[in-house]
Amino acid sequence: MITVKQLTKVYQSGKISFPALKEVSVAIEKGEFVAVMGPSGSGKSTFLNILGCLDRPTSGSYFLENSEVSLLNEDELARVRNQKIGFVFQTFNLLPRLNILRNIELPMIYAGTPAKERRQRTQEVLNQVGLLEWAGHRPPEISGGERQRVAIARALVNQPNVILADEPTGNLDSHASTEVMTIFKKLHRQGTTIVLVTHEQEIAAYARRILFFRDGQLIKEEITPVSPEVNNQ
Amino acid sequence: MSLIEGLRLALESLWVNKMRSSLTILGVVIGIAAVITVVAVGQGGQAVLMAELQKIGTNVFAIYVNWQEGEPLGEHDFTFQDIAVIKELVPEITYLAPTYYIPSVVRGPKDKKPAQVIGTEADYAQVTNVKVVRGRFLSQGAGTTRAVAVLDQTLAGEIFGRLDPVGKRVTINNRPAQVIGLTKEESGFLGIQTSKRIYVPLSFAQDISGQRVIQQMEGMAANQENIGAAMAKAIKVLERRHNTKDRYKAISLEEQMKIAGKITGIITLIIGAVAGISLLVGGIGVMNIMLVSVTERTREIGIRLALGARRKDILKQFLIEAVVLCLAGGLLGVVIGAGGSVLVARLAKWPPLISFGTVLIAFAFSVAIGIFFGLYPAGRAAKMNPIEALRQE
Repeated sequence: MITVKQLTKVYQSGKISFPALKEVSVAIEKGEFVAVMGPSGSGKSTFLNILGCLDRPTSGSYFLENSEVSLLNEDELARVRNQKIGFVFQTFNLLPRLNILRNIELPMIYAGTPAKERRQRTQEVLNQVGLLEWAGHRPPEISGGERQRVAIARALVNQPNVILADEPTGNLDSHASTEVMTIFKKLHRQGTTIVLVTHEQEIAAYARRILFFRDGQLIKEEITPVSPEVNNQ
Repeated sequence: MSLIEGLRLALESLWVNKMRSSLTILGVVIGIAAVITVVAVGQGGQAVLMAELQKIGTNVFAIYVNWQEGEPLGEHDFTFQDIAVIKELVPEITYLAPTYYIPSVVRGPKDKKPAQVIGTEADYAQVTNVKVVRGRFLSQGAGTTRAVAVLDQTLAGEIFGRLDPVGKRVTINNRPAQVIGLTKEESGFLGIQTSKRIYVPLSFAQDISGQRVIQQMEGMAANQENIGAAMAKAIKVLERRHNTKDRYKAISLEEQMKIAGKITGIITLIIGAVAGISLLVGGIGVMNIMLVSVTERTREIGIRLALGARRKDILKQFLIEAVVLCLAGGLLGVVIGAGGSVLVARLAKWPPLISFGTVLIAFAFSVAIGIFFGLYPAGRAAKMNPIEALRQE
């Protein structure tokens, strides 16, 4: 599903160039739940941004479902972000003035989905994250955990190939974190591909495979034992 | 993204900042309202001008001596015979009266007032449509130096009070005259009260001023079609009688009105242009606020880009916002402008003219301003890098 080869990203600031990613090669299969770990400045967020087509690599190749993403133009990239990728951010990134329904509808609006279908799919994903009754409220009126669940619903609504989550529990207390991770776990069970950046061991433990980054390089990979939480389900 | 969705997104954003949005459009509102008012009042004025022309008659004209400065008065002046001969030789002319205008002070038993003395004869009543309400008007035969006067009814009221003026005496520039008739007060050209009028025999007017002069002839052609021929023939007669050329000019009231109409048109254009400048300022205001808005909403733009908005979707959204702002301003401006022109027209006592074309142009202009001044801010929004935009707090 995702194959990156020798992915390199160099940030240029005047004469100083800073390599954020150095020749990272990795393949992620369909249906995998992958956690990306590493200290800050290790390049894990840059990696995720490139996977999410928010940023372009300086060199190297990135295949998403057999298409070479680095060759796409701006509009095609927007389409990839819209159709194939679902983003979940640490800071939720909901539009505070729009109600939850409208927030979830946004990706579909940019996809040109007809209004009737939008309504129906919004209901579905809201139901999936258990927030159907909050549909008319605005993000500031709900808790952080609920906001992140709305963000997950929004990421799911265009039925993407992969969910990319950047520290999705970074702003949440442990209870809300568990709630959110439970949803990810459920999605993984249903076959959704998930790539999740975190620096917390217990969050990473939800994934089946962990990639460790340091100084822009992929230094090690681990397959996690089936976690007790998963066993309990 | 469809246009309807774009419109909805724009309205949502504008609604969130109601106060700012309404302040932003104020400039456009004032600009459009000013332009609409000026144009409507101007066009109304022109319409009144034309209506007035119809009322007075399109077949009225004046002949005057094209007198050069420094030239002595003399051989080329009009004579009483000239008038008689023209009437004799030019059948197209129905009425023709000599006129001599003198500013004066007229005194009655009660009060004195400044007034316009018009030295003329009977035909003048027909030419200028003067209505006699009491007594009679001047008789034909301008040669008479009889000290009689016909007074405007309002003027008579002011200087005589409740007395019946007919048969009584007034003094005009200290010369006594007997009142023989009263005329109906005219509303005056364009509803503006012109100076009060007294009609006296032409020779008497010459006595008052001490100069044997006929300033001009005012006449009426039988109908509008042959007014040109009437004026041309009259000039020819005069040139033959005085053995001169290019000395006499004739102008119809219609021509005069057309000149007046042209002048009011130019004035309307100039004031309209000044009002248009305020519209420009309004547009700059919209651009300014749009730029602020784009900066403030950097993060929102980042989120939208991350969710799959294309650059043109962002451009469209902000452009639609700018156009909606300007269009709303235009709409409100048209309404206020219409109200303003009705008010001005009421005060000036002429009908406001708001043509469909004016309104259409105002709207088209609002949209153009929205696009013109919205394009740059929207372009800035669309150029944003998603990562950097998302990092913005």
